[in-house]
Amino acid sequence: MAFNFEPAVIVDSIPQLLKGAELTIYLTVGGLFFGFILGAIFGLMKLSPSWVLRKIAGFYIETIRGTPMLVQAMFLYFGLPMAFGFRLPAMGAGVIVIAVNSGAYIAEIVRGAVQSIDSGQMEAGRSIGLNAIQTMRYIIWPQAFRRMLPPLGNQFIISLKDTSLLMIIGVGELLRTGDEIVAVNFRAFEVYLAVGLIYLTMTMSIAKVLQILEKRMKIEGR
Amino acid sequence: MIKIQNLYKSFGKIEVLRGINLQVSQGEVVVIIGPSGSGKSTVLRCINKLEKPTSGTILVDDFDIMDKHTDINMVRTEATMVFQHFNLFPHMTVLENITLGPIKVRGMTRAKANELGQALLAKVGLSDKDANFPDQLSGGQKQRVAIARALALQPKAILFDEPTSALDPELVGEVLEVMKQLALEGMTMVVVTHEMGFAKEVADRVVFIDEGVIQVDKPPKEFFTNPDHPRLKDFLVRVVS
Repeated sequence: MAFNFEPAVIVDSIPQLLKGAELTIYLTVGGLFFGFILGAIFGLMKLSPSWVLRKIAGFYIETIRGTPMLVQAMFLYFGLPMAFGFRLPAMGAGVIVIAVNSGAYIAEIVRGAVQSIDSGQMEAGRSIGLNAIQTMRYIIWPQAFRRMLPPLGNQFIISLKDTSLLMIIGVGELLRTGDEIVAVNFRAFEVYLAVGLIYLTMTMSIAKVLQILEKRMKIEGR
Repeated sequence: MIKIQNLYKSFGKIEVLRGINLQVSQGEVVVIIGPSGSGKSTVLRCINKLEKPTSGTILVDDFDIMDKHTDINMVRTEATMVFQHFNLFPHMTVLENITLGPIKVRGMTRAKANELGQALLAKVGLSDKDANFPDQLSGGQKQRVAIARALALQPKAILFDEPTSALDPELVGEVLEVMKQLALEGMTMVVVTHEMGFAKEVADRVVFIDEGVIQVDKPPKEFFTNPDHPRLKDFLVRVVS
């Protein structure tokens, strides 16, 4: 059977695929929003003078980084209901998985960026009477945040692509939508090509936004 | 104003300070000199507890900094610090660097703080630099901003930690000039420096620290004209030549 590229298939499947892409965006934005909060909290905990807080953060980061996200998703969605008797809605579970997963990596990004700020900045802040939290908020964090942007952009792109794994728990995101179309029309080549192009468009948009943000936040004179 | 008794400080196994006793009165300018590694900067950093003393007593404006109930943030605003490497906040304008303390610590309104900041910039001769960022300034200008930032808290004393050591030689003068002006206005100052000219001209007392103890503590005239202490003699010969 000769292969016959049919662009019309792509055009026809676009509306449905975009619906899937919409869910992908929700998962990414929601997941990364909470993931950044988790990352900031655990990243700073890792730098805390308290041994207990450092250990808790270390445990979280090691556990999440050390297990596949697919396993985390299946455990949360299929495993936990066996123990607790209720199942989260798939979208909710999806957002949690992205948040918890990206949070572990973002925590390391936050820790590295904060640590990279010269210790003289903390000393200068303290020397004018600011307490440790104020110094973090007004002096260290704004500088560290700028250094976080490139690795954060990286993580955002990874997390967006990782949402495709959530098809396994039945979230109708972009890849699953494509899968469902293929099940009906058997045009795997055209449909997955279209799916890939939509992912590419989204990841390139993230890269562009981060690039603009980086430029706008650049410190004058540097 | 500042009273240090029996100050000891160790970093791990290395004992840097071994019983420092030093008093600085209101309005006095005390210059601390000594070979590198002698612990002179450590003394300064202990005064506002950027370094935690191992043992001893330090009173700043009658507040015992070793006492757990002392609000160390408050004490630090009474003895602010000027650093060797300036440590200006690079993401803030020059004016914001100066007004941050007054606004966040003293609770001053922004308008009031800006007014104070402009006045201090005029005092250090940088009125036109208020909207610049630190990385757009020369080293000497940065250090003058740092002095203005330290003054903005209206402290009772200022601690200078080698304020000219990171500067190109031709920029040292403008910073020393500002410091001299402060001294004339009666500011209490403790200055760690290698600038012997400044010590001779401006100091009320010069203190020589070596091996973690104060070896000599005298008015500059006696200190420099008649150094009877063998280590000091040695040091001065090396510094002057």
